[in-house]
Amino acid sequence: MTVNPFEDPDGTYLALVNDEGQYSLWPAWAEIPPGWTVAFGEDTRQACLEHIEANWTDMRPRSLIRAMGEMEE
Amino acid sequence: MTGTGPMSATRPAGAGTQGTQGTEGTQGTEGTGPQDTGPAGRGPVTPAPPAPGGQLEDILPLSPLQQGLYFHALFDEAAPDVYTAQLTLDLEGPLDAARLAGATARLLARHPNLRASFRQRRGGDPVQLVHRRVEVPWRVVEGADPDGVAAEERGRRFDLGRPPLLRFALVRLAPGRHRLVVTNHHILLDGWSTPLLAAELLALYTGDEPAPAPPYKEHLAWLARQDRAAARRAWSACLSGLDGPTLVAPGLDGGPPAEPGRVRARLDEEPTARLTAALRARSLTLNTAVQGAWALLLAQLTGRDDVVFGGTVSGRPAELPGVERMVGLFINTLPVRVRLRPGGAGETLAGLLTRLQAEQAELLPHHHLGLAEIQGLHGGGGLFDTMTVLENYPAGTAATEIADGLRLAGAGGTDATHYPLALAVTGGRTVSLRLDHRRDAFPGAEARRLLDRLVRLLGAVAADPDAPLARLDLLSDDERALVLAPPDRETPAPDGSLVSAFAAQAARTPDAEAVVADGTRLTYAELDRRADRLARRLAALGVRAETPVAVLLDRSAEVVVATLAITRAGGAYVPLHHGHPPGRMSWVVADTGAPVLVADRDPGFACEAAVLRLDLPDPEAAAPSASPDPEPADSPPDDARIPAFPGGAGGEPGQDPGHVRIHPDRLAYVIYTSGSTGTPKGVAVRHRDVLALAADHRWAVRHRRLLMHSPHAFDASTYELWVPLLTGGTVVVAPPGELDPGRLRDLVARHRPTALFITTALFNLVAEEDPGAFGALAEVLTGGEAAAPEAMRRVLRACPDTVLGHVYGPTEATTYATYHAVRTVPDSAAPPIGRALDGMRAHVLDGLLRPVPPGAVGELYLSGAGLARGYLGRPGLTAERFTACPYGAGERMYRTGDLARWTADGELEYVGRADAQVKIRGFRIEPGEVEAALLRHPSVGQAAVVARDGRLVAYVTGPAAGSPKGSAAGSADGLTAGPADVLPDGPATGPATGPADGLMAGPGPAAGAADTAGTAGAADPAELHAHLARTLPEYMVPRTVVVLDALPLTPNGKVDRAALPEPDAPAAGRDPRTPAEERLCRLFAEVLGLDRVGADDGFFDLGGDSIAVLRLVSRARGEGLEISPREVFARQTPEALASGTRGGSTGREVLLPLRATGGRPPLFCVHPGAGLGWPYSGLLRHLGPDQPLYALQARTLTEPGHTAPSIEAAALDYLERIREVQPHGPYRLAGWSMGGLIAHAMAVELRERGEEVALLAMLDAYPGAGPGVIPAGTGPGGGGRDAVGPDTAGSGGTPPGAQDGPEDPEQDPEQDPEQDGALSGLLAAIGYAGPGDAEDVMAFVRAHGGRYATLDEPTLRAVHRHYRNGVKISREYAPRVFDGDVLFFTAARGREAGAPTAADWKPYVTGAVVDHAVDCDHESMLNPGPVAEIAALLRKESP
Repeated sequence: MTVNPFEDPDGTYLALVNDEGQYSLWPAWAEIPPGWTVAFGEDTRQACLEHIEANWTDMRPRSLIRAMGEMEE
Repeated sequence: MTGTGPMSATRPAGAGTQGTQGTEGTQGTEGTGPQDTGPAGRGPVTPAPPAPGGQLEDILPLSPLQQGLYFHALFDEAAPDVYTAQLTLDLEGPLDAARLAGATARLLARHPNLRASFRQRRGGDPVQLVHRRVEVPWRVVEGADPDGVAAEERGRRFDLGRPPLLRFALVRLAPGRHRLVVTNHHILLDGWSTPLLAAELLALYTGDEPAPAPPYKEHLAWLARQDRAAARRAWSACLSGLDGPTLVAPGLDGGPPAEPGRVRARLDEEPTARLTAALRARSLTLNTAVQGAWALLLAQLTGRDDVVFGGTVSGRPAELPGVERMVGLFINTLPVRVRLRPGGAGETLAGLLTRLQAEQAELLPHHHLGLAEIQGLHGGGGLFDTMTVLENYPAGTAATEIADGLRLAGAGGTDATHYPLALAVTGGRTVSLRLDHRRDAFPGAEARRLLDRLVRLLGAVAADPDAPLARLDLLSDDERALVLAPPDRETPAPDGSLVSAFAAQAARTPDAEAVVADGTRLTYAELDRRADRLARRLAALGVRAETPVAVLLDRSAEVVVATLAITRAGGAYVPLHHGHPPGRMSWVVADTGAPVLVADRDPGFACEAAVLRLDLPDPEAAAPSASPDPEPADSPPDDARIPAFPGGAGGEPGQDPGHVRIHPDRLAYVIYTSGSTGTPKGVAVRHRDVLALAADHRWAVRHRRLLMHSPHAFDASTYELWVPLLTGGTVVVAPPGELDPGRLRDLVARHRPTALFITTALFNLVAEEDPGAFGALAEVLTGGEAAAPEAMRRVLRACPDTVLGHVYGPTEATTYATYHAVRTVPDSAAPPIGRALDGMRAHVLDGLLRPVPPGAVGELYLSGAGLARGYLGRPGLTAERFTACPYGAGERMYRTGDLARWTADGELEYVGRADAQVKIRGFRIEPGEVEAALLRHPSVGQAAVVARDGRLVAYVTGPAAGSPKGSAAGSADGLTAGPADVLPDGPATGPATGPADGLMAGPGPAAGAADTAGTAGAADPAELHAHLARTLPEYMVPRTVVVLDALPLTPNGKVDRAALPEPDAPAAGRDPRTPAEERLCRLFAEVLGLDRVGADDGFFDLGGDSIAVLRLVSRARGEGLEISPREVFARQTPEALASGTRGGSTGREVLLPLRATGGRPPLFCVHPGAGLGWPYSGLLRHLGPDQPLYALQARTLTEPGHTAPSIEAAALDYLERIREVQPHGPYRLAGWSMGGLIAHAMAVELRERGEEVALLAMLDAYPGAGPGVIPAGTGPGGGGRDAVGPDTAGSGGTPPGAQDGPEDPEQDPEQDPEQDGALSGLLAAIGYAGPGDAEDVMAFVRAHGGRYATLDEPTLRAVHRHYRNGVKISREYAPRVFDGDVLFFTAARGREAGAPTAADWKPYVTGAVVDHAVDCDHESMLNPGPVAEIAALLRKESP
């Protein structure tokens, strides 16, 4: 079987982020889907995951963060 | 394999018309020189007398490909031989048929290799015999349908042993119009050679004598000069690290069942020119492009990124002069290995092709090694089942004029392969592609799709060779439309929340029944009020937006209230389960940081959260109540900080539903599932996800009253709670505790739910015990694990009015992602999991994240509605699993880790877990596939397959297995639908029933029989083993099948694989139990050079290859055992082969032919005391294949009531039988132990009848009349022997004492000290040390009795009776005198002083008693060492 493209320990990866501030691990060879930009990488899988752990501190989508902020105001 | 290219023809020198009217005959030809045959054009050749050197001109080895074809031709001699090739030549103009016939003879005279036949040497190695003289089959057919004639010619098999392996038919279509049909076996000629041959034939017709091509023999000589060691190293390196074979049709047996189907395609001139230019620019060949494209196609088809297929090479070494003109079989099919990712997944198409071409060039000098040898380097067995060939045969000349007025008007050919898929490509101004396909593996439409895909790939090479592989799109427009279809139905984007949606529903139907539980009935208004009241308490405890609130409640109406209340307070509920270990619950509460735990008891674990006890009075309430039952009016909010709840406090339910403060992206709940690292992960699900699930159109009608029986902590509760509450339906709450079929029926009868979800395990149980229990339901949903088709069929039959919904979904996609309404369940497979729910999309992607076409396996990804936010507090893990989705801007998709494929109808089929694969002997195996195959057997209720110590082990329960209690631990509390569910850190509560006590392992009784071990059900390991062997490739068949009463389950009802017991018996290599098995084991061992082979060992497991198969078949035939190579391939083990031979023989007949063939007079061997003749099969090998051998066996075996009254009576009985085989002497008799006495009596009788007895051989048999011959009480266990002698040879077991049979009540071994002694000795000999009662003994024999273990009890009793009777009649035997000599074998070991000797026979023999001492004891005389010695003497003494 093929190695899943997200599970290749020797692969090169990116950390992508979308407008909602959600992150995605992404194989560096693959085309970047629309609506996503590179936040980090290319780098190892582990380095990309560490970047995501360090930077995605609030996992609520941005639009929700905004909406909840307004509600509390 | 190869086709025929265009014809070349030479200009004729002139010929007239001369007809041969409807003649049929042969043209004699000889190869001793041109002078021996008449010149072409003079009609049939006169046969010349045989040359002095004999009929054979030469004996040559086979080229590697010839070996392969020879093997395939023998594979199944009954089926049409697909290696019959054909060439047709359409000839226009006047034709002299006789002259053409003469030319055919001349043709064969010029090419010795066309006169070859193929035979095996005695050892099995094939050789080709070049005959000096052969008759060329030639016929002329008048006015027949030429295609019919061609088909008929093709349909007649060539016998490879009868030269020549080609024939000619001339069809006269009309005056001046002929078709010459040349049919040959591929072993003679390859596709390159046929046009050469045709051209030469036509030249000979005209009277030309073209310069002879170098003979094929030179090629064989060249082959012999090659450096095989270097080639072996090169191929070894090429295949190193290969991860198993690449098979597109792994279940298919190797034999060719029919002529293959064929589809064609063509690249027109313009695309061909583009392709050629793109290849030329990069110095790539068309062959490389074809192989690269095939590799990509294959990778997608098989889901592998390291593939192997066969590539055909011309096999014509440039260094051999004139090789391009030689006629014969040169081509070789060699493995082409293509690794698709060594350069990283970013590799371009051109990069791949360049690398492939370089790798293949390295192998060029090593093309001469045979495929079998290469496969042997890689552990044997087939590496591939597809192949490609680039056909670039020598182009014919443009001239089509042959002779005056005669011209070649056209040529065609047919040719075939045994591979499931074989691609042939021809280059030129256009590229022609032809895909031959086995119809049983790939129907025509499927083959067409594959070929179209290949054409698109070649188009991609031409269009953009520098595109990364990941961007290659292999889908057709239709396929793309199917697999990338938008959701069937979109759900309207929710702008509300669960709170607003429920409030709206409560406003619409305040008085409708919302919740029904035992003793409780709540309307929507009541539920709303109670939830509101609890929500205020929660708010008072600090619950705010997205605050996690843990819930630990027994199933009751309170679960509904609390769930609603938590969402209403803005929090996210985190359900816990009583069945989980306290440590885990504590961990979950801490992980979420929940400040509040809602419970109905002391939670029993330490946690920081404030515990809100619903079983205690509400201290804040005006009217405290400990009961969930009728509530007082709502208390007014007592906390000013509590936000306003829509429809809550003070207002009427449902008021102001528009006043909603909860965003749909807020969290609704967090459900924990097991993590691969062992740390549970909390799936954080949003309001919008639950709204999408509840809004699915599938629930609208039938799911009005839902039975809530799943634990709150499992995600099926989402469906059970929210679907009714948001659609005006009713939640029917099952009481706490275990659900079983009986309780299910009660609940359905009492509360009349219309639908429910039930896990696979519980569904199967209900299906087995009470399938009608679902009958009152409008729909039952089931899923979560591999479905049991039989269970589904049963329910469909029993509940014709109930819809059966097959659902699939991970927790991460909010309970259900796909749905399929099951209407019929095909025999071959579990029903699909169907289509994505409303608003969801399913993607099946390959390793390069490209969508796979229907039929190909890929990994399932889900996007759209229902996708959870992620894993609570686990950003890295979330980013790994919820990834960017290529099919929607900024969207995410969830990577399920499940393997799936699309059907042609656009439904999904579940294949298994991507990470569940195990590797056995280099093969990657999906245990789920093996489980599915087991579940298709009617006797299997549940199945689990795991790898242990490098072997596959299957665990099954019988259909009735698993009492309600047994599976209750999981099923009672319900399971979830998703494959990723809450697993405890260990088997926390443990299954209610552990593994069965009577664990049974091993496919045979050697490990203890299931039925005697007291396990449930009719599941028989041997039968299941056979069932799997019929349906799965050999490497997927578990060696061990363990029958359990119930499979151990985790608390959430999944099979607890870690808790499956170790099989308690070695899984391989059981002893043979029948003569046929014994012989086959021995033959296997001989052919494979092994010391020992078990009856269940697979031939190819042990290193067998196709050449070894030929040796095996040859040797087996030498012993009169007819098996075909195909059978060896299909059956593989001695056990399976034996069961397929001898047409239902029990091996117990009185006259048992051990080898019925052979030129020598037969040898008859009389059974020893137990009555079985099987041990004599050990003689077969040593007596040689020309020696027929029969064993005489006691009639008791087939007629249990029979008792031989005397030795003489038995002798007379057997004489009648042997005279059926051999009516008159000279007879040759032998007997071991008691058999010696009978043989003596037979010999006496025969002589008295005047028959000649050429041999009487006795193996340690003594006349029993004399005193001291039977030493009382000294069986072999005591070191002595009795007159009869226990026949424990070979297997080491004589069936021991059973109870008395009714036939001879006067005999009682327990009363007879002599026999008692003998018996105890026998029992000791087979290792029995038990109490000695009949049942115990019988059970012991079953388990340890070797060949006797298969005997049923009556037969075993008969054997024992025979033995006992044998002792008696042996003692009574008063020998008369035999007129002749005796050849005697004394077992020299373990003899006691005073024991009888060969000399004791002197009084009963007129001639000599020639005694040979054999160094063994009485029991071992037919064991491998001694039997060889005895056989050698038998053969010598009886020429």
